[in-house]
Amino acid sequence: MLKIEVDVDPGVRRVVLNGELDMETIALLQEVVGKEGEHTLELDLSGVSFVDSTGLKGLLDINNNWQQKGGQLLILHPQPDVAEVMQLVGLDKLLTQNGALTGKKR
Amino acid sequence: MRRCYECAQKEPASPCVECKDFIQQGPLRRVPSPPTRILLEDEQGKKYPADILALNTTEFGLETEAPVPGRYVIRLQENLWIEVAGVPLKGKNNVHVFDILSVHRKQGTARRLNNEVYQLLAGSTGQLVAEISQHLPEHLQDLVREKLLAELEKSELISAIRVGKVLKYEGGRFRCLSGQADMDLPMEEAEKLMRQATRHAEHRREVIISADGQKVFDFHGVPFDHRSGGLLAFDITEVIEKEKKIHRQEMEAYREAMSAVTGGRLHLVNSEETEKLLSEGVEMAKGEAMQAHDIPKARQVLRESLPSIFSHRQHAIALCLSEAQANVLKHAGGGCWQARQAGNLVRIIVQDRGSGIKTSELARATLMQHYSTKNSMGCGFTLMLYYADSLYLNTGPSGTTLVLDFGNVRTDRLDLEK
Repeated sequence: MLKIEVDVDPGVRRVVLNGELDMETIALLQEVVGKEGEHTLELDLSGVSFVDSTGLKGLLDINNNWQQKGGQLLILHPQPDVAEVMQLVGLDKLLTQNGALTGKKR
Repeated sequence: MRRCYECAQKEPASPCVECKDFIQQGPLRRVPSPPTRILLEDEQGKKYPADILALNTTEFGLETEAPVPGRYVIRLQENLWIEVAGVPLKGKNNVHVFDILSVHRKQGTARRLNNEVYQLLAGSTGQLVAEISQHLPEHLQDLVREKLLAELEKSELISAIRVGKVLKYEGGRFRCLSGQADMDLPMEEAEKLMRQATRHAEHRREVIISADGQKVFDFHGVPFDHRSGGLLAFDITEVIEKEKKIHRQEMEAYREAMSAVTGGRLHLVNSEETEKLLSEGVEMAKGEAMQAHDIPKARQVLRESLPSIFSHRQHAIALCLSEAQANVLKHAGGGCWQARQAGNLVRIIVQDRGSGIKTSELARATLMQHYSTKNSMGCGFTLMLYYADSLYLNTGPSGTTLVLDFGNVRTDRLDLEK
């Protein structure tokens, strides 16, 4: 289950996620954020309790797509379990270097 | 692998190159002095300078600002480039191990830097080839040797070729030039091959099984002119036997190596051992892995059935279950799972009836970060190796079974929340 709320401000698309990111739900998210638009995409993960490697791969793809169009992705407030998994596969480092991960703690 | 995390915190100043956990020490390890400067190029063409601190035939230890994980290309010459992937769990600060994914040469692609094993074997093979080609007309010797060596290089089992025979073919007749005289060859097949080789004026190669099915021959036909040529015949029956034996030994070696490099966590098990693992304890929950929706469903079922003494391990167990199910969906098209409890142990079992993991892919598929034969991140196994206390893998052409054990005590782990 993944609930996606989108809120668009000038230049920023804010996406608040609630639920789990995995093979089943990542496609939903990719559909929502796939279309070109604002400069900055904010993904608020504070309501995401679970992300597996398929979900992480999806986030990485979104980051790469967004960057190719000259935009940036910000991942906000991952829960501790999720942050740990991101750190284990090195995704946190990659996203930090690309300026995508901020505000680990709530 | 998590030692690198610990080391980065406890001894940030100690160099990775001197660490035995960094790049496996052994005769193939080299430490260039001074470090060799190269360029890493990412998929977008962005370039990062890097210093080779150490290397062996399958990995580099690099000091670089290039983000890890990530895939990069190292261009050495116009016709020689290497694809590498950074391993986040090995190394610290700006120093990381980069796995060699493939080496591209003009002649083809390899999985490692240099086939040193072949170099060792080439000595005796070169001699054999020289011996059997010395009776050929002089102007053909070099050509035949070159062709033979090229053919032999393709076989990793050249050391097993002990029996060879060289015959001259002329106008439908054979004359033995050298080699083992009492070797019986299927002459009808040999003549057919030589007729084709001389008619088309090109090198022909065929593997022929004798009429009684007992012997296997590797035939090379080399034309001299339109009616004569040379036939090189090898009895490779032994080679095939040896191939089977090597496969068994390989599996044994893999078992030991996998267990060692994973700190005793990953075990390759046979069907008998698997049956035992599957029968221990009491079933708590089970389900399918046939479509993407089965993955969240399985987590839900698992959470509901998990006894409270395991609640602090729930995330780890659920994640590993999802990763194992995703593997089954991606690689085998579907399978099933179950969770069992045996005392203070939760055991997750995920099975499929797919075609198994090939021996040649096994180490990469399970141990190498970001290695995936499918388009995914390839880190599912890394996560399972981190979160599960023990893993048991049984794989073969009729399917794969993965067993993951979780104790109710969280094993010694690093505090990743700095």
